[in-house]
Amino acid sequence: MTTRDADSSWHKFKKLKRGYYSFIILFSLIILSCFAELIFNSKALLVNYNDELYWPIFSPAIEGQQFGLDYDYETNYRQLKKQWLEQEQTIDSFNNFVILPLVPYNPTEVDLSDGFYPPQPPSAESQHYLGTDTIGRDVLVRLVYGFRIAIFFAMTLLIVEYLVGVFIGCFMGFLGGAFDLFFQRIIEIWSNIPFLYIVMIMSSLITPGFWSLVLIMALFGWMSMTWYMRSGSYKEANRDYVLAAKMMGASNFRIIYKHIIPNSISTIITFIPFSVAGGITALTALDFLSFGLPAPAPSWGELLKQGVDNLDYPWIISSVVIALSFVLMLVTFIGEAIREVFDPKHKIYYE
Amino acid sequence: MLNNSRQIQKNIYSIAISIFIALIFPLKAFAENPTLPSGLKWLSNDSGQEWSSTSAAKGGLIRLNISSFPPTLRTVGPDSNNSFRSFLLDNQMPLVEMHPNSGEIIPLLASHWAYDEDGKTVYYKIKPTARWSDGKPVTADDFLFALEFNRSKDIVAPWYNKHYSEEIVDLIKYDPLTIAIVGARAKPKKDLHYYYSVQPRAKHFHKLNEDWVNRYNWKIEPNTGPYQVGKVRKGKSIGFIRKKNWWAKDDRYLRHRFNIDQVLVKVVRDPNTAFKYFERGELDIFNLTLPKLWHEKSNSPMFEKGFIHKVTFYNETEQGASGLFLNLDNTNLQNIKVRQAIAHSLNFEKVISQLLRGDYQRLPSFHTGYGDYSNNKIKPLKFDLGQAATLLESAGWNNKDRYGIRMKGEQRLSFTVSYGNKLHEPQIIVLSEEAKKAGIELKPLYLESTSFYKNVIEKKHDIAWLGWSTGFRPAFWQHFHSDNAHKAQTNNITNFADENIDRLIIQYRESTDEKERIRLARILEQNIAEQSIFIPSTMAPFTRAGFWRWLKLPETIATKSSQSLFDPFNITTGGLFWIDAKTKIDSLSAKRSGKGFKAYSLINTEYK
Repeated sequence: MTTRDADSSWHKFKKLKRGYYSFIILFSLIILSCFAELIFNSKALLVNYNDELYWPIFSPAIEGQQFGLDYDYETNYRQLKKQWLEQEQTIDSFNNFVILPLVPYNPTEVDLSDGFYPPQPPSAESQHYLGTDTIGRDVLVRLVYGFRIAIFFAMTLLIVEYLVGVFIGCFMGFLGGAFDLFFQRIIEIWSNIPFLYIVMIMSSLITPGFWSLVLIMALFGWMSMTWYMRSGSYKEANRDYVLAAKMMGASNFRIIYKHIIPNSISTIITFIPFSVAGGITALTALDFLSFGLPAPAPSWGELLKQGVDNLDYPWIISSVVIALSFVLMLVTFIGEAIREVFDPKHKIYYE
Repeated sequence: MLNNSRQIQKNIYSIAISIFIALIFPLKAFAENPTLPSGLKWLSNDSGQEWSSTSAAKGGLIRLNISSFPPTLRTVGPDSNNSFRSFLLDNQMPLVEMHPNSGEIIPLLASHWAYDEDGKTVYYKIKPTARWSDGKPVTADDFLFALEFNRSKDIVAPWYNKHYSEEIVDLIKYDPLTIAIVGARAKPKKDLHYYYSVQPRAKHFHKLNEDWVNRYNWKIEPNTGPYQVGKVRKGKSIGFIRKKNWWAKDDRYLRHRFNIDQVLVKVVRDPNTAFKYFERGELDIFNLTLPKLWHEKSNSPMFEKGFIHKVTFYNETEQGASGLFLNLDNTNLQNIKVRQAIAHSLNFEKVISQLLRGDYQRLPSFHTGYGDYSNNKIKPLKFDLGQAATLLESAGWNNKDRYGIRMKGEQRLSFTVSYGNKLHEPQIIVLSEEAKKAGIELKPLYLESTSFYKNVIEKKHDIAWLGWSTGFRPAFWQHFHSDNAHKAQTNNITNFADENIDRLIIQYRESTDEKERIRLARILEQNIAEQSIFIPSTMAPFTRAGFWRWLKLPETIATKSSQSLFDPFNITTGGLFWIDAKTKIDSLSAKRSGKGFKAYSLINTEYK
């Protein structure tokens, strides 16, 4: 794929409004989630105490004593703010202020206030905009951090799967013969193993973490790409430019890496959004069955499970279902658009 | 001559036969009927207080729920240890039991019992009226068969094989209604009944062979209790029918009980659905112990209109040892100051008041509710960040990292808390959030229940959150003796090993004097509490239920040791309630016409 190809593809993509805007929204959500700590955090952004400025988010835990409180563990900034607002102002303290993030809770923090038993319904006053879950953690904050984990999980999984799948597929198509036959059989057998059960068994043997889960899932997910790459490179292998490269003494690896992959990559790109969606749902499903990331990691699957078990508190289930369908919808729209852009049969002129 | 010789031959035969009979018969008679030792003091305790209500009326039907259909109706062998088994076992009467209020031994299948001087043998006289559900009498042979049965390889139950060979050493028949059970070790008298109890098996029913497990999967075994299994609808429900002419219906301690004619046990998989069935009147009783059920779900119209009544009953019974078990194989946990600091950093007050709605109480110590054997002076360490800080600083944990977690050199004060039940997750998360304030990181680690069990029993945990089931007497050896420390597959999951404690445990185990055992149990309990290897969590010293208004309970509601108020079969605490037929008719017609009654909630604190 040359730069010009890429340019024109991007151009075409931009004209498919639905996909393009979906892409913009999803991309901004991802970028935003990378800075979630600045928007969704129980630590204050900025504290001014006795004319000294503190940046709690960017500094190690600041003990309460630092701000004239009577404890030596990390300051509760919401309380501090409330206390300073209620306090009578003196000459010393009139300058003191706390600037809290937009939603002043962190994803594992349990907010149990007197007289309220969790879960709490959504309320702007308590700044639990989507309410709390059954333990008293903020649903919105857990959704945001859960989104970040899910999307990065899906993308990491995708990279690992595609790296393995593309290379093995290309070699199968390009080399053919025994190598091809051998891997064909391996893939056939491997893809008949019930993936979900294996993941469940594995994650009951070891405690899964982010990377081990990526690894386990990639182990059973790399096959899907190989068939496409195999047929792609099979076709390319007999093209003149490949033969020319061969004659000039290029190594197999170089031919695949430099010539075949760039020429068959378009197939892969169309699959990417759907793989991302697949990754998100797989993680959510595993978390739902409590075989995914260990508690108390914020996770959509865990929220979904809580929601299903507690239909009496509709804010839990509705928040997570809406969020999940929204993100999956965005990804699908993007996928559709990309497929359209790279559709070789479909020469449509968009003007 | 010929005749003569024939005659002689005949005579010789008859002499031979008579000698043979004379030789064999007394031997055989001796083998079958050994004589009872003289001077036995037979006890019967037939004047103890009864706990049923004389106003109880017989009749009616109740419907209960279980979450899954039992995989078998056998009570031993593969798959038999399921939640339904207690329904079957409760209808097999033991020889004697403990009085649910006073704790004295009361006669059930046996009318009298006596103790041998050796301290490990108990003699029983079986009630002559005792009958199997098929009308055949219960005799000593059924007990002998029970021993053979439980020792047989055919039942595929290794634990039973072992228990009935190594613990129950012998069972002797003296006459068709008198037996003796011989245990392996001498024990205090009352304890013998518990540790060395054998329940009869109907000899005429079972044919033991290799195929027993499969052939008896769905056969209904004869029983001695008040009910027998009736209609079984596979996957859906199991019905129990009251025996109209039950042999023990007028016996002391059993009369005016087991009043309901039919008990239908329905399978409802999902607890939320089951509650909906209950509200619709398709189930008569529902356990409301969980705070969410009691406080939120039971505010629905049927409760408010007084159709469904609520009752809380405080009982006084053994509490499971549940809480955090600190593994001494972890080098940081070897320091007692760190363990005490962890205990001080756990804010159970917050968990109880804000998560459990103040219903539960803090569990005081490992063996709580064991009557005299419990040490009631022990108080768990309270949430106290100041104390925790002092302890940790004196243990050298002086620095803090950027997250506020204490450090000693390069080491962080961080432990995993593993658990195998999602129900406990909220509590653990709240506790770990609070512990951060003391600079201790407790990382919750959920493991699927089987791998959690494996992890703990192989002692690979830092801190494990779990609860042991209760026993009859405090059991120190399995949990705290050095024999079981640093070994996989034993119950000493803290790896605690201490010579002095070992000595006390052995003394406690070997003593047959009840007073001495009580004294030792209390000392041991104190010593173990001081070690902070087990940090007790919470207990619910009560049982709560919702029930449709036509069900009636005795004035005393239940007994001191009742764990459930509407247990239909339990031979000591169950079967106390009855149905008031008139109230039922009135209530149903009121329900149809949309009328209501006064909401009703009862709290009994007699044993609080």
